Amino acid sequence: MLEVKCPICNTSARYEDNEHRPFCSERCKLLDFGAWVDEEYALPVEETSMTEEDIAALERAHQTGRE
Amino acid sequence: MAKAKTDYSADSITVLEGRDAVRKRPAMYIGSTGDLGLHHLVYEVVDNSVDEALAGYCDTIEVTIHVDNSITVVDNGRGIPTDMHKQEGRSAAEVVMTVLHAGGKFDSNSYKVSGGLHGVGVSCVNFLSEWLKLEIWREGKTHEMEFAVGIPTAPLKETGTTQKRGTKITFKPDGDIFDTTVYSFEKLSERLREKAFLNKGIRIFIKDEREEEEKSHEFYYKGGIAEFVKHLNRNKSPLHDEPVYFEMVSDELSIEVSMQYNDSYDEKIFSFANNINTVDGGTHLSGFRGAITRTINAYAESSGMVKNAKVALTGDDVREGLVAVVSVKIPQPQFEGQTKGKLNSPVKGPVESFLNEKLGEFFEQHPAVAKKIVGKAVDAARARDAARKAREIVRKSAMAGSGLPGKLADCQEKDPANSELYIVEGDSAGGSAKQGRDRKNQAVLPLKGKILNVEKARFDKMLGHGEIKALITALGTGIGKEDFDISKLRYHKVCLMTDADVDGSHIRTLLLTFFYRQMPELIEGGYVYIAQPPLYKVKKGRKEEYIKDEKAMFRYLMRQGTDDVQVQVDGRTVEGRSLSKALEQTTELENYSGRFARRLGNDKRLMQVILDAFAGREGVLDKHKVKIKRVFAQEELMAEVEGKIAAAGYKTELIPDLEHGLSEIEITLTNAQKVVFDWNLASYVEFQKSVELMSDLEEEFSGPFVLGENGTSESIENRNALLERVTTMAKKDLSMQRYKGLGEMNPEQLWETTMDPEKRTLLQVRIEDAVETEDLFTILMGDQVEPRRKFIESNALDVKNLDV
Repeated sequence: MLEVKCPICNTSARYEDNEHRPFCSERCKLLDFGAWVDEEYALPVEETSMTEEDIAALERAHQTGRE
Repeated sequence: MAKAKTDYSADSITVLEGRDAVRKRPAMYIGSTGDLGLHHLVYEVVDNSVDEALAGYCDTIEVTIHVDNSITVVDNGRGIPTDMHKQEGRSAAEVVMTVLHAGGKFDSNSYKVSGGLHGVGVSCVNFLSEWLKLEIWREGKTHEMEFAVGIPTAPLKETGTTQKRGTKITFKPDGDIFDTTVYSFEKLSERLREKAFLNKGIRIFIKDEREEEEKSHEFYYKGGIAEFVKHLNRNKSPLHDEPVYFEMVSDELSIEVSMQYNDSYDEKIFSFANNINTVDGGTHLSGFRGAITRTINAYAESSGMVKNAKVALTGDDVREGLVAVVSVKIPQPQFEGQTKGKLNSPVKGPVESFLNEKLGEFFEQHPAVAKKIVGKAVDAARARDAARKAREIVRKSAMAGSGLPGKLADCQEKDPANSELYIVEGDSAGGSAKQGRDRKNQAVLPLKGKILNVEKARFDKMLGHGEIKALITALGTGIGKEDFDISKLRYHKVCLMTDADVDGSHIRTLLLTFFYRQMPELIEGGYVYIAQPPLYKVKKGRKEEYIKDEKAMFRYLMRQGTDDVQVQVDGRTVEGRSLSKALEQTTELENYSGRFARRLGNDKRLMQVILDAFAGREGVLDKHKVKIKRVFAQEELMAEVEGKIAAAGYKTELIPDLEHGLSEIEITLTNAQKVVFDWNLASYVEFQKSVELMSDLEEEFSGPFVLGENGTSESIENRNALLERVTTMAKKDLSMQRYKGLGEMNPEQLWETTMDPEKRTLLQVRIEDAVETEDLFTILMGDQVEPRRKFIESNALDVKNLDV
């Protein structure tokens, strides 16, 4: 039995026999879809080496981005 | 007495008229002759007592179900008036019991907010009972009277003296009228509990004598409807601990509202006017709804929770998960509708403005609760909006011509089982793929990752709205709960073809995550593949070869370089595969240890000293047979490490790492900068891997070496020199091209290496792979800084360019 974490609310959800898999609910699946079409999912592009400053900047950006 | 009797016979005509009407069409008066009507009789009697309580004269009501399903209701009110009724010439009590709607006739001022509207009156109960006994305690006297099928068997009679006050009515529903005469303890309890909630401070007992073990409840709620809300939420998970409660009392209008959100999607709102459950709502409910919608929207905006105000929160959004009770009390309420379940009195304005003010205040004072409530509404709105967008994508693609996205180069084949879709990153690569493909059964969809400049030193990559749309449309499956249909998938091989670099892996991560989350059926069906374009093309002599990635390239070089070579080490001969593997490890160690040195102020010598102290031939790990963490936990081992660092000329100090109960070493570098070598530093992947690789190499592959090639031999001092020598040999006569992206390959090359079914290797994506990708995505997106940093760093190491 595959157990997964709901990507949106982080509660555990069954994978099998779950029409909303890998989400816990239709709601979370919709919120995720909304995030895709509203361009809220962006991955940080890293060059091959990161300095401490890069990391700090990344953390800062991420925090401000979430508030 | 004789006079009374005469009057009795005279009046009995009207009595009989009322009685006959009720008995002829009982459903018109009490709703039904079934279960509902049967229970209604009890509510009717209890309501009279509750009215008495509302007027402030009664605080206890007792209901008993007897063994024969007769019912007794006792209250401690003023007692039904017993004096003679002037017009009727009978006791007031008798009038109440025998004239329809007589209840309010006596004392219209005393019951200021009487609910007795559906109140057909207790006379109905009397008319529909096989028998009814009335006992009144009033002004120190006991009065009694009995009825049979609604007709008095004798006038009201004073039977004794008493200290008590109140009314007791016992009745047995008439089996000729009712389909069933068995009461439900649970049903009565539920309704009486509701009455107790609605009238805080009133105490209602219910007792069931029918079974050997008597059942009973006591309902008494100081908190009133707030406790009602809690009760309604008892099996739910509330969003906030305590129900919100507001109250306003005045002569013209009293308002009581309580609400609490739970995490479900349903709303449950009960509204009452003068204790009557207004099942169809009405003005009080409209006022409540208006205030909720307005206040939550206002908060969402002022707190910035709906940033771009793209989604307005509708009434449905703000009521999702709401459990509420709205209760108003007004003199002479007006109702509407057949069932009189809708309040019509003009209270919408007052209720709305009262709640606007109170709820606004509450949100201000409880920002944490407000955030949760408003957050839920925002989620509801966003989900609604997302569902709409999903439908729109499906609808629009169905409307426009072929419905296929403009940049899709489709294939001729119509059978999905034989069709392939290559999803390619970038327009130039898309161009090559379109030219290079077999257009018979290979379609190409170029997607562009959208770059977002977040900060000066940082870029984010994402799939734009248009790309998502094109993707869904090209696949043909639709999207969303209603529309997604895997049987409409237009290609049974969906191949992701991205550059073999970090950017390409990001696009792949985004696409796989999207599939896994929104179209898991695609992966489960085994329709998703990863194409493997080469990173290098090498040519030696006439022989051309494509090489997939850095690792493979390095292996290739080592294979070439070690072809005709043997190495003598410690009297052993190392050659062929084991030689090239040892050299691969040497390079890896080089990479990791270089990274580790950067954490030591880029002091490569110190890095070497520390690695030696751990993993060298005399290092602590091998000598004491311990793992790395143990060294930090055991002070004498740390002291040994410190000694070695000090011996190399560094100033050191061994200090306790109190936070972890370990030891750490403070080292002063030649430039006076200080670094602390502690468990945190040692837990980085660069140190761990360095130690692991070095331990292996020191044991098996430690210089000096003797290199033998074509009969000549040469002495080489250490591993790095050996590596350099072998690499130089490998590169002799070798021409090499590194593809920076798919776009650098010409169409023929792309076909030959990556798209030709005869030669390509496609990796089928399994659900486990997708789960792993999802984890990666979550780490990259997540707000947990530490795991993300560690991940990015170790990942960055793996994809680090080889300096070849």
